[in-house]
Amino acid sequence: MDEKHSCVTLSVQPSRGLVDEKFVILVQNSFPSSLLTIYAHHQCEDGNSWHAFAHYTSDATGAVNVSEDCSIGGTYSGVEAMGLLWSLQPVPGSKPGLRMRKKNVQAPMVVTISVYSSHLTEGFGDQVPLAGVEVERWYMAPGVQRIPVTEDGLTATLFLPSGPGPFPGLLDLWGGGGQLVEYRAALLASHGIASMALDYLTCKYTMETGKIVEQDYFEMAYKFLQKHPKVLGSRIAMLGLSLGTSVILKIAVHSQIMKLRCAVCVSGSHVQPMDGFLKEILDYFSKNSGNTHFTKDNEVVWRDLLLPIPTDLSLKVDVGKLQCPLMLVVGEDDQNWCAYESAMDMKGMMERAGNSHLLTLLSYPNAGHLIEPPYMPHARVSLFREIQSRQKLMVLWGGQTLEHSRAQEDAWRKLLVFLRKNLYSGVKSGSSSLSNL
Amino acid sequence: IPQSQTGIIFFIMLIPAGKVRWKSNTRPAPVLTAAPVRALVDEQVSIRGHFLPLHCPVTLHARMHSDEGDLWESFAHYNADERGTFSLTRDPSVGGSYLGCEPMGLFWSMQPAPGGREGLRLRKKSVESPYTVHVSLLEGHVSTSEGQRSELAAVTIERWYIAPGVKRIEINQNGLVGTLFIPPGPGPFPAMLDLWGMGGGLQEYRSSLLASKGYVSFSLAYFGHKDLPGPPNCINVGDSYFKAAFLLLQDHPQVVSDRVGIIGLSFGCYLTLRIPTKTGVKPSCLVGINGPEQICPVDTTEQFVMSDATNFINISQEFWNFDDEGCVIFKDASLPANIPPDNFLKVEKLDCPLMYIVGEDDLSTASIENADLDHQIEERLRSAGKSHLLTRLSYPGAGHLIEPPYSPSARTSMWSVKPKKLITMWGGHPALHAAAQEDAWKKILDYLEKNLYELKINQKL
Repeated sequence: MDEKHSCVTLSVQPSRGLVDEKFVILVQNSFPSSLLTIYAHHQCEDGNSWHAFAHYTSDATGAVNVSEDCSIGGTYSGVEAMGLLWSLQPVPGSKPGLRMRKKNVQAPMVVTISVYSSHLTEGFGDQVPLAGVEVERWYMAPGVQRIPVTEDGLTATLFLPSGPGPFPGLLDLWGGGGQLVEYRAALLASHGIASMALDYLTCKYTMETGKIVEQDYFEMAYKFLQKHPKVLGSRIAMLGLSLGTSVILKIAVHSQIMKLRCAVCVSGSHVQPMDGFLKEILDYFSKNSGNTHFTKDNEVVWRDLLLPIPTDLSLKVDVGKLQCPLMLVVGEDDQNWCAYESAMDMKGMMERAGNSHLLTLLSYPNAGHLIEPPYMPHARVSLFREIQSRQKLMVLWGGQTLEHSRAQEDAWRKLLVFLRKNLYSGVKSGSSSLSNL
Repeated sequence: IPQSQTGIIFFIMLIPAGKVRWKSNTRPAPVLTAAPVRALVDEQVSIRGHFLPLHCPVTLHARMHSDEGDLWESFAHYNADERGTFSLTRDPSVGGSYLGCEPMGLFWSMQPAPGGREGLRLRKKSVESPYTVHVSLLEGHVSTSEGQRSELAAVTIERWYIAPGVKRIEINQNGLVGTLFIPPGPGPFPAMLDLWGMGGGLQEYRSSLLASKGYVSFSLAYFGHKDLPGPPNCINVGDSYFKAAFLLLQDHPQVVSDRVGIIGLSFGCYLTLRIPTKTGVKPSCLVGINGPEQICPVDTTEQFVMSDATNFINISQEFWNFDDEGCVIFKDASLPANIPPDNFLKVEKLDCPLMYIVGEDDLSTASIENADLDHQIEERLRSAGKSHLLTRLSYPGAGHLIEPPYSPSARTSMWSVKPKKLITMWGGHPALHAAAQEDAWKKILDYLEKNLYELKINQKL
């Protein structure tokens, strides 16, 4: 070690935290006004490497505080406490169309954060960092239980919060990609809501019979939650993204069996044939597949499949009849679904019907389709496997990284407040004043 | 509903005599929080309660399972303030397993739950998994034996002995047996050789903690381990074994070779003093906890010396004392007055700083007498003009097992099951011992940082 060189220290607090917790990255003991690069590296479960970096100049005491100081270059710029996470990108040479999604939620996401001298943009592997810290990001808080559910023909995973309970319940639905995606439900359980991630497109029933599930599948899931000893049967919500939204809106308005305490619909639409259920929705998409566009890079744009929004009430859910609070989260740059236009139409329907006090609408300029829990890297485009044709396509989701990441952070915070307010408080409340429209 | 009936229903719902309404439409339900909820075992946790009725009495009940499956628990009584909150960093416990303002009291005051095995001592076997501590908030001031109460709120806390990124490497090469822990990052790092006592086996938890603080740490097994040679109840390794362990650290590519120290407890403390005075290696600093400096004759060959040590413990039963309950106290066996003067290590030969830590209620070795009397460490160093090398920490009320902080201490524990079931006394009174552990650990870490990390202006002492 060079005797004259002081020992640069790097600390990240907390070094073990939930994925939606903020951390403070602090560099100390460097030379005053020295050029530093802070670098983050993560190898995800499928083996792909992701990295992010930012250029800083240390202050007069030789310190850099990422939450307070300005990045002057790198994968993000400006004052961004969590920029090293949400600006993660596949390392050069990676396959195109990657998207980061945690499969095993019982193990943490490990990110190595290091600091290098001078402003580097490449060749991080060849240089020796001045200091490094490993950080764990968890989807499950201590004490959260993960329970696979296969009874009643369900393909699902239940996450129970730690503590005595009972807890309000939530059904978590993802979109047209299918699979059993657990990470959002695990995170919600870490916030005190018993959440069940439900696979409804590639579930055991569908894989064995080739048939799409009907409404009774969701009723089974709802009843499972309702009679669970640790769940408050009268306080069950549903949260969905993309195709999940279509399912939830139908259920929220029309189901006699499933009485939702509240619903959160992200990046979805109310446009669907009123006759029938999931199969008919999928057939409707296929019928309109002529509206598919392609960008000059041959990326698939599906936002026009449901446009224009029909005026015919047999082709969209009549949200004017909704009786529970509804939160809609949409990105105005959504290239996959016409979520913004649908949200505007739903707002109009509810205003005319007189139940718009139930609506909380969050609309984010330049955010795309995949509005997910915060601080995860944004995918503007990724490889998507269509479940029916089994084809792999490069799909354009939309969104500009900076604004999309801000949208994810804001939406998640407001979503948690909305859920807590409607699921925990004793009084049935209307919409909160969170709308920015 | 007729007016009178409504009145009756209203009255019944109002407040049944003496009972507190915990959940109401106007106030959220009570909440118990801990921050950070996942932390290293030596980090403080801030536990707070919110949304309680004003000034109401509550009990905190903490429970966890050891690696062996034994249940440990503690409890404490608090009173919420005029805003319905309490905080363990600010408020005193008015009853339970500890009293007074003790932010970490729930952890260090834990005891084995009633009905468990006897003579337990809490030691983490597997450092790669955390202790999961379940803390419940109960109404009123209750004790844990009062039966199952319903929890108002709860929080689960993880306590880790290893920070993210620390690498654990099992060592079983060239005869050396132990576990190496390497901090995350490029290195190189200073290093510590970590030695425990005659309990034997391989204890990893202090090494993993030191690695979490930036020191490559090697926890060395030298007695009572299946991979070591020879009969099981003797020490069959000699000075060359410990020298090889020290050199393994010094020669390691991620270790700064002139910044290697040694830390030892009990017999490990003896070894900590023996290794530099006998084998010629040059550690940068030493930390010795509650250990005697003699026990073995010094000038004989290595193999012989070490087996003498074990036989010594067994043979010198004339010095064993038994207390009223039949627990054995080893202390007098190592009283300087009972040992011939030829058996003392020549600590005046030390050339590096030494931190010597003593629990004044140590019932296992005569630590205080060792450090104070003639021919003892302090005197030997003073007469050699080296008293500036010695840092001495002495803790009243602390026992033999001065370990990393916030863990329960054992005043007694099971020493052997065969040939005879023996429970040994370690000493130490819970609150004083816990305070000693907290203070000693902080001072040890500062001492290591000063001697192993900071630049030395005067390289040669």
